[in-house]
Amino acid sequence: MIDVARQTGWYVYGIVDADAADVERKVSTVAGLGNGEIRLVREGSLAAVAAGVPLAEFGADALPERLNDVAWLEEKARAHEEVLQSVGADTPVVPLRFGAIYLDLGDVAELLRTRREQLVAALERVRGRIELGVKGWVDRPRLERVLGREEPRGTASTGRAYLERRQTERRHAEEAAALIGDVAHEAHGQLLRLAVAGVVNRPQPRELSGRADEMFLNAAYLVASDDTSLIAAVGELDAAYRRLAISFELTGPWPPYNFVEGVEDGE
Amino acid sequence: MSQYDLTTRSSLSPGSGRPAQLADVLERVLDKGIVIAGDIQINLLDIELLTVKLRLLVASADKAKEMGIDWWEGDSFLSSRADGHHSLDQRLRRLESAAGLEQGEAGKE
Repeated sequence: MIDVARQTGWYVYGIVDADAADVERKVSTVAGLGNGEIRLVREGSLAAVAAGVPLAEFGADALPERLNDVAWLEEKARAHEEVLQSVGADTPVVPLRFGAIYLDLGDVAELLRTRREQLVAALERVRGRIELGVKGWVDRPRLERVLGREEPRGTASTGRAYLERRQTERRHAEEAAALIGDVAHEAHGQLLRLAVAGVVNRPQPRELSGRADEMFLNAAYLVASDDTSLIAAVGELDAAYRRLAISFELTGPWPPYNFVEGVEDGE
Repeated sequence: MSQYDLTTRSSLSPGSGRPAQLADVLERVLDKGIVIAGDIQINLLDIELLTVKLRLLVASADKAKEMGIDWWEGDSFLSSRADGHHSLDQRLRRLESAAGLEQGEAGKE
C-alpha cells in the first residue's frame, strides 16, 4: 500500500522524566539522525525524546538496504549516541536500542503508557548514575614470552630438543590463556565491588576493535556519577598488569545502555 | 556540571575530546538499550547482507571460543571469581619473580 501523505516517521532515542528541565531547548541544537527537530513527547510522568525522520530513509522498505550501508549506519549510530549524550548530560535517560520508529506521534505516547512501569523502573535505576566501559587488552605473544623466561631455552638442534621446545611453547600458550581468564575474573570482581552493577560482554574481535592487541575483557559498570573510585581502580589495574603485557582501558562516560534492558517492573 | 563530565576529576579521563571508538558505539547502540517494537520492525540478525564487521559483533561467540576466551559465557563467571583471588595473586608473584620482574619495576619490561 502506498501512502503518499505519510512521509515522516518518529524515531525515539530514549525516555526521560516529563519535567526534565530544559531538555527540549538543549536537544533542539543537536542534529540527530533525521532532518526534523528533536522534541519531547509527554505522557504522564514520562517523556520520549523523539524526532521526525523521513520514511524514504527509515521506512520498512528502505531501512534494510540502508542498514547494509556502513557509512550510513555509522553516521546514524553516532547521531543516536550524540543525542543521548546530550540529553543525558543533564537528566537521567533510558536509552532505547537503535531503530525504534513509529508512524504516528500517538503511537509514541501509547508506548509510554503500555511500557510505563518498566520505563519508570529503568529510569529510577539509572538516576544519578553513569555507565563506564572497561576493556582489557593483552599482547598475547609478549605474555607468552614473559612466561617463557621461567626456564632457560634449550639451543640443541636435535629432534628431541625440538619436540621439548614445542611442548614448552604449548605449555606457555596454555598458561597464558588460563592467566588471561583469571585476570579477567579478578579485574571484573574488583571493579564490580566498586559499582552499582556490572556486565561482561563479548570481547570485540580484532576486525572490529582495529587494534593489534587482543581484547580479553569487555565490561561495563554502572556507577554514581560523582564516584571516581572505579576510574582510579582501572588505572591501578593497568599499572599492576603492564609487566604481563596486559593493559586496561576506560571508556565513557556513556548513557547507561547496558543497564536498562531486563529491568523488571518495580525493581 | 554535566554528569558525564568526569574529565576534570581524574588523569585517566574518559572521552577526553576523542570521538568514541566506532565499535564501542555500535555495540551499545545496536545491541544494548531497551528494545521497543515500533511500527517499523528491524532485526539486525535478519539482514542477510549486514556488513561483515557487524556480523562479527553479533556473532563472535564461536570465534572467541577459538581464541580461548569464552569464559564470559555462562554462570561460572561470577561464581568462580571469589575463589580465584588468592591463587591468581600467588601465581602472578611466582611468574613475575621467575621472569625477573620485581615489584615496582613496571615499565621496564
